[in-house]
Amino acid sequence: MSSESGAGHVRLFFREAIARALAEEMERDQRLLVLGQDVGSFGGAYKEFAGLHDRFGPERMRDTPVAEAAMVGLGVGAAAMGHRTLVGITYMDFMTLGLDPLVNYAAKARFKTAGRITVPLVVKTTAGAKGQGVAHSQCLESWLMGVPGLKVVAPSDPASAYGLLKSALREDGPVVFIDHKRLFPKSGEVPSTECFAPIGKAQLLREGSDVTIVTHGYMVHVAMEAARELEKAGVDAEVIDLRSLAPLDMDTVAASVGKTGVLATLEEGQVTCGVGSEVAFRVMERLGPVPAVRVGPLPAPVSSNPVLEAECLPDAGRLVDAVRRILSQAKPKGTA
Amino acid sequence: MIYKLLVPGPIEDVEQVRVLEWHGGEGQAFAEGELVVELETHKALVEVRAGQAGILRSVISQEGDWVDIGSPLALLSDSADEQLPDGLDELAEMALSFEVS
Repeated sequence: MSSESGAGHVRLFFREAIARALAEEMERDQRLLVLGQDVGSFGGAYKEFAGLHDRFGPERMRDTPVAEAAMVGLGVGAAAMGHRTLVGITYMDFMTLGLDPLVNYAAKARFKTAGRITVPLVVKTTAGAKGQGVAHSQCLESWLMGVPGLKVVAPSDPASAYGLLKSALREDGPVVFIDHKRLFPKSGEVPSTECFAPIGKAQLLREGSDVTIVTHGYMVHVAMEAARELEKAGVDAEVIDLRSLAPLDMDTVAASVGKTGVLATLEEGQVTCGVGSEVAFRVMERLGPVPAVRVGPLPAPVSSNPVLEAECLPDAGRLVDAVRRILSQAKPKGTA
Repeated sequence: MIYKLLVPGPIEDVEQVRVLEWHGGEGQAFAEGELVVELETHKALVEVRAGQAGILRSVISQEGDWVDIGSPLALLSDSADEQLPDGLDELAEMALSFEVS
């Protein structure tokens, strides 16, 4: 129950893990600036910047107008000129406005200048559905995965949020850090001492032998719930939290699917050209054909009506059904 | 009579809270309406006020502790010399009011 829980760990709210990573990096690197709506004295839409304005001042915690293209553009320019910037885009839906400076300038600068200009920029944004309707609910991470020069990470708990943000803030090039509205009510154990979660490395959360479930972000919790349900039905599911969407850790994923022989992907973003499509195709490039199923939302915008929102989103029940369906279709293990 | 003070709820969108500050130590008498303890959620503060007069006898959840909705925070009693029981199950719940801000 204590906040000092277990040797070398401290229990933090999700937002506190983000604030801690930023505070440590701002202390270490005086060039690091934060730009965003309400990142100043207000402390962030989810209080994830709380305390930083008092500690580091308005010069480094800069409130901006509601102008995402300008915010990302300023962040890219400042980073290119020797600062390091974190731009907070409160809702991922509004990343669309900042894609030009992010995709066409930040991600390409190193290539265009033969490495003379780098853009150490982190765009931190919050994805996912939680009662806020069509334009404040989307998970658009797959849109960003195919941009050369851009890295994309998605934490699933306070420890990965802390570790991935620390790593992102040490990168030479742009990183998009995507958290999720439903992660903020959660707390979790975070190492007491400084540590990093490597970008490009997935985490095996649950070992199993019958099916590999690959997911990321908040959907990790849904996948773990489904794995517990599947266990009751005699299905032993392995669960992989990708953590890094670009680059993808295909060594970890392919090793798992090579063992289980069946792949299920789960994401809150659309499955068409989604994270699961990319993961499945790359698995098959390595292993040849394997039974695979993608689980995601309905092909519809998320409604602000909570009944319709829940209907749209993937849940543990849908994942369980999809896994059982594909297992019943797949050739039973051990047969010729 | 001995009462148990529980973490109030439900609080929308809250899974766990952390005890932020006790407004008095063991032995302190609280009048109805007085602030007893402040709790911290992931985005808000919860002020827990006494819904009846009582004397704080035993703090179960210390500042910094993580507690679930409905779990015990402390024991209070009507008078200072009442013997505290070993278990909590039989105890009446302390009346309270709370505000999330």
